[in-house]
Amino acid sequence: MERRDFLQLLGLFSGAAMLPGCSENRSAGKLVSYLVPPDEGVLPGAALYLPSTCGECPAGCGLTVRVSEGRAVKLEGRAGHPVNDGGLCMRGQAALWRLYHPERLRNPLRRDGAGQFQPLSWDEALTLVVEELEQARQEGRANLLLSGRTTGTLTELQQHFCRQLGVEPLPQFEIFSHAALRKAYGILFGQAELPHYRIDQADLLLSIGADLLETFVSPVGYARQFSRAIKQDGFQWLHAEPHYSLTGANATERLVLNPGSEAALLSFLLLRIESSGQEGRLPRQLLRALPAVSAGQAARLTGLAEERLERLAKQLLLAERPLLIAGGIATGQPNGLQTALLAGLLQQQLGMIGSRIEFARAENYAAVGSLHDLQRLAERLEQDRVGVLLVCAADPLARAPAALDLPGKFKRAGLRVGLCDLFDDSARQFDLLLPLSHPLESWGDAVPRKGVLSLLKPALDPLHDSRSAGEVWLELLRRSAKPAESASYQEYLFDVWHRRLDERQLQQFAEQGYLSLPVAAVPLRLQAERAAGQLAGAETAVAAPWSLVLAPSIRSFDGRSGSLPLLSELPDPLSTVSYGRWLAMAPAAAQALQLEDRDLVRVAAGDWSADLPVRLQPGLAASVLMIQGDLLPEASLPIDPRSGELVRVLDGVRLEKLGSAAQLAILAGSSSQHGRGLIPDPAHHAEIPPEQSRFYRAHPHKEYRWAMTVDLELCIGCAACAAACYVENNVPVVGRRDHLRGREMSWLRIEPFYDQAGRAGFLPMLCQHCHNAPCEPVCPVYAAYHNPEGLNVQVYQRCVGTRYCSNNCPYKVRRFNWWQPQWQAPLEQMRNPDLAARDRGVMEKCTFCVQRIRRARDRARDEERPIRDGEVVTACGQSCPTGAIRFGNLLDEQSAVYRLARSERAYRVFAELGTEPSVYYLRKG
Amino acid sequence: MKSLAAREKLEQDVLKGLRRPGKWYLLGLACCALLFLGALGLWGYQLSRGLGVTGLMHPVGWGVYITNFVFWVGIAHSGTLISAVLFLFRARFRSSFNRAAEAMTIFALMVAGLFPLIHLGRVWIFYYLFPYPSQRTLWPNFRSPLVWDVFAISTYMIVSLVFFYLGTLPDLAIARRRLSGIRARIYSVLSLGWTGSHGQWKQYGRLYLFLAAFATPLVASVHSIVSWDFAVSILPGWHTTIFAPYFVAGAILSGTAMVIILVVPLRRALQLQPYISIDHFEAIAKILLLTSLIVSYAYLVEYGLAFYGHNQFEMELFRYRALGHYRALFWLMIVCNSLVPLTLFIRRLRRNLAYLFAVSLLVTLGMWVERFVLIVTSLAHDFDPYAWGTYTPSWVEIGITCGSFGLFFMLFLIFVKTVPVLSMSELKERL
Amino acid sequence: MARLLLNLGIIGYFGLFLLAAVALGGYWTGDRQQPQQPIAFPHTVHAGTLQLACEFCHRYAKQSRRAGVPSLTRCMSCHQTLAAEREEIKKLTRIFEAGQPLHWNRVYRLPDFIYFSHKRHVRGGVPCAACHGDVARMKTVRQVRSLEMGWCLACHRDLGAPTDCTTCHN
Repeated sequence: MERRDFLQLLGLFSGAAMLPGCSENRSAGKLVSYLVPPDEGVLPGAALYLPSTCGECPAGCGLTVRVSEGRAVKLEGRAGHPVNDGGLCMRGQAALWRLYHPERLRNPLRRDGAGQFQPLSWDEALTLVVEELEQARQEGRANLLLSGRTTGTLTELQQHFCRQLGVEPLPQFEIFSHAALRKAYGILFGQAELPHYRIDQADLLLSIGADLLETFVSPVGYARQFSRAIKQDGFQWLHAEPHYSLTGANATERLVLNPGSEAALLSFLLLRIESSGQEGRLPRQLLRALPAVSAGQAARLTGLAEERLERLAKQLLLAERPLLIAGGIATGQPNGLQTALLAGLLQQQLGMIGSRIEFARAENYAAVGSLHDLQRLAERLEQDRVGVLLVCAADPLARAPAALDLPGKFKRAGLRVGLCDLFDDSARQFDLLLPLSHPLESWGDAVPRKGVLSLLKPALDPLHDSRSAGEVWLELLRRSAKPAESASYQEYLFDVWHRRLDERQLQQFAEQGYLSLPVAAVPLRLQAERAAGQLAGAETAVAAPWSLVLAPSIRSFDGRSGSLPLLSELPDPLSTVSYGRWLAMAPAAAQALQLEDRDLVRVAAGDWSADLPVRLQPGLAASVLMIQGDLLPEASLPIDPRSGELVRVLDGVRLEKLGSAAQLAILAGSSSQHGRGLIPDPAHHAEIPPEQSRFYRAHPHKEYRWAMTVDLELCIGCAACAAACYVENNVPVVGRRDHLRGREMSWLRIEPFYDQAGRAGFLPMLCQHCHNAPCEPVCPVYAAYHNPEGLNVQVYQRCVGTRYCSNNCPYKVRRFNWWQPQWQAPLEQMRNPDLAARDRGVMEKCTFCVQRIRRARDRARDEERPIRDGEVVTACGQSCPTGAIRFGNLLDEQSAVYRLARSERAYRVFAELGTEPSVYYLRKG
Repeated sequence: MKSLAAREKLEQDVLKGLRRPGKWYLLGLACCALLFLGALGLWGYQLSRGLGVTGLMHPVGWGVYITNFVFWVGIAHSGTLISAVLFLFRARFRSSFNRAAEAMTIFALMVAGLFPLIHLGRVWIFYYLFPYPSQRTLWPNFRSPLVWDVFAISTYMIVSLVFFYLGTLPDLAIARRRLSGIRARIYSVLSLGWTGSHGQWKQYGRLYLFLAAFATPLVASVHSIVSWDFAVSILPGWHTTIFAPYFVAGAILSGTAMVIILVVPLRRALQLQPYISIDHFEAIAKILLLTSLIVSYAYLVEYGLAFYGHNQFEMELFRYRALGHYRALFWLMIVCNSLVPLTLFIRRLRRNLAYLFAVSLLVTLGMWVERFVLIVTSLAHDFDPYAWGTYTPSWVEIGITCGSFGLFFMLFLIFVKTVPVLSMSELKERL
Repeated sequence: MARLLLNLGIIGYFGLFLLAAVALGGYWTGDRQQPQQPIAFPHTVHAGTLQLACEFCHRYAKQSRRAGVPSLTRCMSCHQTLAAEREEIKKLTRIFEAGQPLHWNRVYRLPDFIYFSHKRHVRGGVPCAACHGDVARMKTVRQVRSLEMGWCLACHRDLGAPTDCTTCHN
């Protein structure tokens, strides 16, 4: 690459980003002079907003990183990004906790003879790797690379590296590999890919097992699509699953299936729709191969009523634009491949392929393997044929089924090199640890799906002596005297971008941080002969007495985000359990066994067993038990031999009551709203007008009266808002001990309330900024008061800590600092400098992001205009994947909140108390 | 002459109490002082770590500390009742108890006043609660009942102190006369040159009557204001107009019980049987019975209001009180405060000092529990079901509570050895 | 003799107060900072003799929350040639050539719970001297205002600036 081109790209991409030595440390009492003045347009003390891409899960959501005083302090979803378009999930919000994690690897480490890790320099570490690679080659042993999923330029570089150095790249490792789906599509259409589903194009969505809102491929993207779809009249969403997921809780109707009966349901639907004659598109030979399932049989197998099944077929036939998505738990079963095949057929039969199911925009899972590949790796290790084993950004030791005994077999490799970020349990299994930089510290690009290119650029200097994977590969190439082409990974990337993108695209890519590229149409043809042979599946036995579902967790994905403290602090939205492991169980089943919340039981399957506390889960089927998959690393789960996917539904599970109780942090005081109308029943709803006599004068509002609306039809209970609030407002993470005592600190929480039928409603609860706030008159020192813009303000410096305000708050949204908040280094660098740190003994609560209002006001005053509608976006509203939370000025009749607050659906919680909240909820329907 | 001999004996009997303390006295004092010191240590621990060392949590922000505050303010009440109100009503049995009761008032107030400080999150800026001009030009919020408390308690404290001191003046002069050495010097300073002249007695009588009249409304007002800490909130179970009379009755009930608890052993230890007769105890037992009936009536009315009002939050709260997590405490409170005192309708039991002492202990316990149940259940089970939770006091809170009893009894024991425990000047009138 | 003792007692009693007052006075003036700087920069010359505008060096005062201290290139733009022989300037040149940032000691310090914006005050027409005093006559800059809340409030009230707590309290 020409020097001139490089410099041009550097100017384009770096822009104003890099400010050496621009941090200003208040506490140190120093003012630091720049060596050279920063570029025009960059002001000291003002935050920078840089584009990046989230690396917390494979979805690849676009990010905007707020950099303040040289530190990344907040992540936000990037508006307009083709994957997430503005929203960001709780894991994405928590990604900063990985960046500043106190247990991050700070320098390369090598295990010495005594098994202890000793630091060494990068130079020594890389030299060692090169030598060992060479030695293994000479001894005729294979050098292997096992990597987590990579996309874009890094994948190419990795391949290049492997080719040059004779390292054999293994298929990439993801436990949520979607291997059954990819294999099924390969058999049916010759495209072993994971297509992009378009929920927003559908008028009827039938999802089977796929946890679209939690972990399935791109949850924020699907939530965004859902929010668009539900705004169309008559959109229906049916979700079929054996357990209870957040996705199921948000569907129009949740169909509870017997575990393992997904294939039977699909066979029935295929045959019924075919026999209706309206949509017959399947070749005869395929139809003959289909397992014949009558309505009666289907009803018996699935547990659904015969009438419901018939109606389901009819709904699919009547829908103009139906969409079926099967996956997740539905394909993580012994007959998972069959389910995936049948789903593919039904998709073909109802004409979804090519329209609402886009293979042209397939998700980028091409390099990802399945557990079969790990099995093969285990076998090779067994035969002592492995020299250097490089494991990059993957955690197979913690995720792979125990039956593979990977930790034991890993020991047989000559040198185990781990490129990882945290010094966690699986990191301890390696001989040499190379610390990986965080995506926010690195240059890179990502191609989460075909046609999307997303930029990664450093938002801050690396905190530790770490490097990105690309830099490591390049450096290893250079040390092996192989052509490395580029001096740095940054230059390598610039070179790739320079070759692939034209001037205009480069410009756009640099500015917006992502690029939508044209995609080529993928011709698809149903390959009936191949498919027919594969249709027969493993038979499903109706479970007895218990089935255990290992559900994926919205909080930790497959477990990889589990080490981020924020995600343990945030409760699981369905069970409201924050810290600890639990077994979810239907209330009826628990009652029969005389079990209550927190009672210990022993669950056993095969020779595996675990003692877990019970948590009642309304709406769960009586014979089904549920554990979140990431909480059970030691479970020895089988692998589906046909697809190589992990089987996550176990039959014949035994349950034994232990007669004692465990401590479990359940944050909800009750899962029922006791008829109090926090979430009103759509059928009988009428707000009691708060026309009450006042004792005190009404507060005058001149220019602004800030208010929020929360649309419960859009709210999916994903708690992204709560996570965003934690990060934006420096809300302290207090840990398990305080959670057990009921001292969580969240300013915003998701309250799930279940009705008699087990249907869930989610209510985001935050300070309501009441006009008649009960907290204000009782504060003896005016720490709580009403400001002229309608904010209910808490002045921390004035607070003496009587806690009367919290007592008198009907919404119980005020939080007391029981201890001095602790920020273990370097977590304190994550704190938002726009906010004061609270001391012990002080009450705190939601401020409506007053610092953001202040920023907007500052801008508006510079331009001598009022604050525009939509200019102030609270952290919660920004993060919401469905855009359920709006914020604005109630005095502005043009504002969105003004309009929504006057909507027919608007209501306020506990309006009958006369508190006159400034948070308006919009009920469903 | 007979009366002169009787006076001589009275002075000797009462001042016997001021003699060199015995072994048991010192042991008791040491125990109380140790409890108090322990509590101070625990408070220090709490200050250094934060209120996290208590069992307080979300949503129960007030627990044992505020219970103790209300309890001790309640105890303080019957002192004024016995000394001021009964003085105005010319109840003769008053003079057997008034000195001890007044001392009790002051000590209970001193203890009570500590708890709002102990429960503050940032006690080091407690002065924000007082109205004083500062460069911040900020004043306390006079709409907050917590600020009313500051005034109510400090007013009550000042009036009680003055009233107590005024009442002891003639007796201090007697002590000055009958004692020698350094003690005579101290009492001579304390007695402010009291000579017992006719003119002094005349002024004294008028001032005492005036102060008694002045203190009487305080009996009603102070605990009414304390009750408004709760009543002006919006919590179910707190937000009710019955609270002021209900709290005053409860305060007198607990205070009367505490007087009995203090005076029964005192009478025995100092051999004051000739001056504090069973009849006097019977009279005070009747007050106990009467206030217990009022309190029981208030319990009934609370439930009546909740269910007649048909407010779903109130109804659920009162169901929770009787049947929920804290039900054992609720029923303990009913037994101690409403059922056990009913036995005092029987004259024989009323006149049995041991029995009366036991009843008083139960009533004191019951009244403490009543405040706990009232404060904690309402907080634990209010509007938003998601935020329901239960509170259990920590050992720090329990320790500080024990220490408050230690402080109270320590002060009382010191009082017994330094001030004549009976009003000699009044008893002389009775002779 | 007794009289002497009495007099001594009275003098001692009030003397104690005097001592306390002196000690407190010392403590309070200690609160107002006048730190020594790494380079003895004379505002008397720059702002006094040369009459440079404040914003010539503190160039962000009108645009940002922070007024900013001048970058070393700005210093050197004059001092490359001007007064280059002086000891302090040589020190400056050495630091500049070593490529190190210069760490000035803060004179005015606000706690982190206070939001303060130079831009809003300067654009609102508050002269720099209102808070920083007449720096043109200070050889070493010192803090001349208490920065107490009451002091801020008095000015806010006089000028009709907002007095809502959130204006300044974070």
